[in-house]
Amino acid sequence: MALLPPGEGWYFKKVAKDEKMWITIALVVCLILFFWMVVWHIYGRQNPSFITYRTTPEEFNALTMAFIKKYQTGEMNGIPVVEPPPNSDVFLVGKMWRWEPVLVLKKGQEYRFHISSLDLLHGFSLQPVNMNFMVYPGYDYVLTFKPTSAGEFAIVCNEFCGIGHHMMIGKIIVKE
Amino acid sequence: MFRTCDITGFKVDLRAEKLIQLNAVMAVVSLLVGVIAALLLVLTRWQVVHLLPVEWYYRALTLHGLNALIFWIVFFEIAGLYFGSTVVLNSRMASPKFGWLALILMVLGFLLVNFTILTGKADVLMTSYAPLQAHPIYYLGVILFAVGALIGVFLFFANLLVARRERTYGDTLPLFTFGLVAAAIIAVLTLATGAVIYIPTLLWSLGIIKSIDAGVYKLVWWGLGHSSQQINVTAMIAVWYLGAFLTVGGTSINEKVSRFAFVFYVIGINVASAHHLLVDPGPSPAWKVFNTSYVMYIAVLASMIHAFAVPSAVESAQRRKGFTKGLFDWLKNAPWGNPAFSAVFLSILIFGFIGGVTGVVNGMEQTNIIVHNTLSIPGHFKGTVVGGTTLAFMGATYYLIPLIFRKKITLFGLAKLQPWVFGLGIAVLAVSMYILGAFGVPRRHYDITFSGGPFTYTFNPATDFFWVLFALGGITAVIGALMWILIVVISVFFGEPVRGPQDMQLKIAEPPPPAKEGHGFEAPGTLTLTLLFMGVFLIFLLLNWGWLAAMWEVK
Amino acid sequence: MEERKTPFFQLVLEDFMFLLFLGVTIYAVSYLIWGLMELAWLSPIPAEIKQELLGGK
Repeated sequence: MALLPPGEGWYFKKVAKDEKMWITIALVVCLILFFWMVVWHIYGRQNPSFITYRTTPEEFNALTMAFIKKYQTGEMNGIPVVEPPPNSDVFLVGKMWRWEPVLVLKKGQEYRFHISSLDLLHGFSLQPVNMNFMVYPGYDYVLTFKPTSAGEFAIVCNEFCGIGHHMMIGKIIVKE
Repeated sequence: MFRTCDITGFKVDLRAEKLIQLNAVMAVVSLLVGVIAALLLVLTRWQVVHLLPVEWYYRALTLHGLNALIFWIVFFEIAGLYFGSTVVLNSRMASPKFGWLALILMVLGFLLVNFTILTGKADVLMTSYAPLQAHPIYYLGVILFAVGALIGVFLFFANLLVARRERTYGDTLPLFTFGLVAAAIIAVLTLATGAVIYIPTLLWSLGIIKSIDAGVYKLVWWGLGHSSQQINVTAMIAVWYLGAFLTVGGTSINEKVSRFAFVFYVIGINVASAHHLLVDPGPSPAWKVFNTSYVMYIAVLASMIHAFAVPSAVESAQRRKGFTKGLFDWLKNAPWGNPAFSAVFLSILIFGFIGGVTGVVNGMEQTNIIVHNTLSIPGHFKGTVVGGTTLAFMGATYYLIPLIFRKKITLFGLAKLQPWVFGLGIAVLAVSMYILGAFGVPRRHYDITFSGGPFTYTFNPATDFFWVLFALGGITAVIGALMWILIVVISVFFGEPVRGPQDMQLKIAEPPPPAKEGHGFEAPGTLTLTLLFMGVFLIFLLLNWGWLAAMWEVK
Repeated sequence: MEERKTPFFQLVLEDFMFLLFLGVTIYAVSYLIWGLMELAWLSPIPAEIKQELLGGK
């Protein structure tokens, strides 16, 4: 009948018991899924941020350079290493094809990351924790991170940004 | 102008039939391009081989995306729209001239896009996220294709108006055509959004507009990008009902329920494009949560309704034919030797258990954090659009060849095997990609050893095993797809003609005897399967939320 | 013969022009317009943060 018009009175046919049961179960699950997301914003500890600012590559670059200058403690493979104090504004810039600076953080402390790009879209993919966020030119994404594990972490770029995309890898070191 | 089909009894407008055939041919050509690209990609991402050099990897990826995800499917759907609004309604094509215009524009677009990609002028991937910029001709090609498709969609609606005015089908559209109506509505807003985003982007690539805001581009683009996939879901489900009808004579056990489910799609499915922006700066969590939930999961509810309605259509018909033993006698005795049936049933299983289960989790605002831009994302959509839509379309074609091309299926033995080869390959590919992504492996990435970078990172050694599975699954799927293309091409161009019902290799099932007045459960076997699905889904959901909770804190 | 008035929702189901309107409008308002407005409403980086790093003006 899928190829034929439905029979007379099709609109008034009673829904079978099992179909009704299934639809009810599915409806309840669906509503729970929706409210789960809302509730997680209140009680959950992992949520994409509420905060984005408009910026420009020039402005963001200047802020990042100033940030690096203020808290730089060294250098690794040509990239500045920076150790900012807890609860401060941390600037991370993505550009073809590197992440700057290398960050040294303390476990259990909060840091307000400002992440932006100087050119194309990039993907902030923190490994092995596997947390992933997008990085845009013109937008400052403010994500407040609290590292709950210590060690060395890689920032893989997982948004295609040209031929050098696979060379774009940064580093975060978390001390105990 | 008409012929009366000696197998189905439908009146076939010969002008519509020609257009259906040509769009179907273009669909197969596009799939071939997409599949060849797929093989090259599988052998490159599996870095044991690492076949392509870096720029060709991204080029092949762009080629694969456009041809497999857009051209193959849209050409096929336009053919289906014409079929559903003329043949199925015993009606005529409102304006064949516009059908030809649509086809010419789509073919021209197909050629321009593929040409620019292959000559290295559009290494931007299917999403072409600004500020990445391609050559203007690339954008022009996409626009021409989209305009052509939109004309085809409007022609579909025009056909429906003609059929209604000329009273060729009674009062209510058949369910298959109604499903296509839902698909066509989604197509209208998809293609309109395409115009809204691609026209300024074209002007930008010509230097007429100075810049494009990256946030605006991505937001609007996904109004085209994901909505186009929702057309595919809706069309696939229409094909599922068609398959159930042709192979076992089954139909929805309650037309009202199925039709409302399609309407829920129309209302709620398109806003879910928001799930591409869940971890992006810009839109607020309120916007993200409301939209990604398909308006409070109304469209997920619709999918779950169809998940019951389609198998129960088969079960109900089978039970009325006498297969009433136990919970699954109806399924054991289903026509598994009919490749259209096996393709449709595998499509339901893969779409549900792989695509559906992973999809909802990916699309929840917070769990998206652990999947975005990893290989889990393409793993998910191999389950939906390849194991689901593509496999269903492949199955439908086994009826299309004798009924519209009037040719017998050559290599019929191979045809019986084909859905299994393709289905198995895609299932293994999809699952292994999803797992690799769970280990953090990025998508759209040329070299996960990061050679040339200032640092390096080694993924969990367990990934080596899943890369092998990835390669095996991918190669098997490519073989399954090539099998299908081979069968289709040989049958259509060199096959024996179908001279009448005696030449049909696939039965068109007799409608079963009417149901005895209900005593409750009409499809207990299906209910068992759907409850099993719900169990798997909830377990997967809880696992992922558990993994999320173990991550660093972020707000 | 019993005359049954066609229920309102059945009429809705069968009016595909209305469904087209519904589908396009809900999407346009909830996804596109609301989303674009949110992008337009974003504010620049607060002065205190800039001051902290770039020093006094």
